[in-house]
Amino acid sequence: MSGRETGLLLRMQMRRRSIVAVAATALGGLTAASASPYTPASEATVLANVPAGARHSEMTTRHLARDRLDVALPLAQLYIQRARTTGDLRFLGYAEALLEKWTGPEATSAEALILHATVLQSRHDFIQALAVLRRALALKPDNPQAWLTVATVLRVLGNYDEARAACGELSKRANAAVTELCAQGVRGLTGQLPSAYEQIQRIPSREMPDAERAWRDSELGEMAVRLGDDTAAEHWFQNGLRFSPDDFYIRAAYADLLLRNHRPREVLQLLQGRESLEPLLLRIAIAQKQLHDPALEQSRARLSAAFSAESQRGDGVHRREESRFLLEIENDPRGALKAAEANWLAQHEVDDVLVFVNAARAAHSPHACVPAMDFVRAHSIQDVRLDSQT
Amino acid sequence: MRKLLGLLSIAVCACAHAHISSNAFLTVSAMGSQVTGTVELAIRDAELAVGLDSDGNGEVTWGEVRSHEAELKSYVRNRLTLTSCDISFGALRVNARVDGNYLWLPFTAPCIGSLQELGIDYRLLQDIDPSHRGLLTLSAWGDTQTGVLTPGHGRQSFALGRPQPLRAFAEYLNIGVWHIWGGIDHLLFLLSLLLPAVLRRRGGQWEAAPIARPAFVHILKVVTAFTLAHSITLSLAAFDVVHLPGRLTESVIAASIIVAALNNIFPRVTEGRWRIAFAFGLLHGFGFASVLAEMGLPAGARLVSLVAFNLGVEAGQLAVVLAVMPLAYSIRATAFYRQTLMRWGSSAIAALALFWLVQRATA
Repeated sequence: MSGRETGLLLRMQMRRRSIVAVAATALGGLTAASASPYTPASEATVLANVPAGARHSEMTTRHLARDRLDVALPLAQLYIQRARTTGDLRFLGYAEALLEKWTGPEATSAEALILHATVLQSRHDFIQALAVLRRALALKPDNPQAWLTVATVLRVLGNYDEARAACGELSKRANAAVTELCAQGVRGLTGQLPSAYEQIQRIPSREMPDAERAWRDSELGEMAVRLGDDTAAEHWFQNGLRFSPDDFYIRAAYADLLLRNHRPREVLQLLQGRESLEPLLLRIAIAQKQLHDPALEQSRARLSAAFSAESQRGDGVHRREESRFLLEIENDPRGALKAAEANWLAQHEVDDVLVFVNAARAAHSPHACVPAMDFVRAHSIQDVRLDSQT
Repeated sequence: MRKLLGLLSIAVCACAHAHISSNAFLTVSAMGSQVTGTVELAIRDAELAVGLDSDGNGEVTWGEVRSHEAELKSYVRNRLTLTSCDISFGALRVNARVDGNYLWLPFTAPCIGSLQELGIDYRLLQDIDPSHRGLLTLSAWGDTQTGVLTPGHGRQSFALGRPQPLRAFAEYLNIGVWHIWGGIDHLLFLLSLLLPAVLRRRGGQWEAAPIARPAFVHILKVVTAFTLAHSITLSLAAFDVVHLPGRLTESVIAASIIVAALNNIFPRVTEGRWRIAFAFGLLHGFGFASVLAEMGLPAGARLVSLVAFNLGVEAGQLAVVLAVMPLAYSIRATAFYRQTLMRWGSSAIAALALFWLVQRATA
């Protein structure tokens, strides 16, 4: 190809690109965040931080680990833990790659299956996760983690009777603190909120490992929120973050409390530097909206791009956030209601009820969220945020 | 540790929020037998696949990316196949997305035959992250479809549909206009022939043409001859009746500019310049045809597209003539126009064309 032809090709290409960009703009969605590629000004510009565990230099180890169950398991566990504390879903994929060989139909390792279930659960594929956990329990009926994970998944699905039973199975196989947290968590959702809140505070916490303490504090914080005691909730969330600073779940719950109390500046402070996590970026965007901050536009574009990528993938990990985004940022109650409905089919946490109710009210379709309100009544779920809705 | 893991699953699960999974974005546009587009690969993913962080400090800099550009491109080329198309990449850039920076790789891919469907075999990150997906946005003839590419699932096919004749007409008209504006050599040739159109030759000197009419007729003749000539060869080449090697065509086009420019400084042909326009116009037509060969003509709308492309070229060329010639006419009597521009302007054009000639003949 001659020099001229190459130049020509590139020019054609640039033009094609602009057509593509226009088409994408017309489509909405992917646009704002994808329309402006650039050449960094300096060679020294840092484009990405690569976390330990996600470096090319570790790939050889990873490939070797696949064939050794005794190496694959702890490494997969480490990756899952990383995904959990940082919210970085890519680590779930790395764990999956390690487990692939050990979780086929002929699988004999309960541990590998449990880890696989944990990955599925993190992707909000709760039904699949339960099926895999049943396979694990068939291999090892006494495995406490399997029971704990079963209890967790059932709780998220709103199946409290079975969740309580799973906590009961756990009590025969795990320590008192963990058992108590499991059981009281379910009690707190089934009409016994004040007493469960008391009981958890009575669990001796001095001996607890950090992760358990963070769990305890986040459970207490949420319960305090549902009881309407934001001051106490704030105390628990702050405590929890002391033990587990990377726990983005506590951070998100704390940010929601601040937003509800119209303290957007503190939200921006709390979440600074964590914009790459979608749920946290959503809270940042809501705070920016409260502050009339022009930076909102960028957050909005990025969230919109992320949600459309997710829906193109067919993932439902962030439908709850998507519903809030559509309602609180985009002023699209119809879209928000649709997302909330889809979310409700997948999971039944109190926040899912709230999102559903808010979207239905905004869309002037109060009947749409009847299933969620029936669920609240059937289990006597207490939450002051719901009281103010009715 | 076992217990801790279970514990974590409750502690965080009630939450179960998460960062987004690994995606790459494939934006593709297909037309005729030409596919263009971009691949966007997260720097995080590129680091795992190729290894960008040379100094191992956990930070990937633009310099480190640049130094691995060849490996990156060959990684993508080995793992992204468009059936019967040959991908070549343009310059690497960066795009910021919600979960961090992505490498932005533009590509063009000439394909064999006219595209009715696009087959994609996608294997990026296949052995690294089973949850990785390629998110495809595919445009053809004004329709856009999306798709999800799963690594290692083999070839996935996407129907491109057939163009509406009107759509093909608009697209190729646009390409024609754009091509003549982008392809400065055709314009320089034409302008070299048109510069003296507002003058006349008297006693070895250029002087202003006294009235507009002959100047106008002169311009009309040159433009028409050029248009007719390149339309003929463009059509012949587009329908594969005649074919000339690209290098020869490109070289002769450069030579034609030299001839036209030198004729202004050392006039040999003063009255019948339209003959030069016609003779070399035939060769320029083959030049235009090479653009079409690159783009391809869409099945079912070949003639319409060819006519549209040609009309686009004429329109683009006419726009330039209409913009330049009235100005030339108004300043034709000045010494600047008659001497400086005719002599030094033409010399500059000839020098540039000589440079092209050497470049193309030796490329």
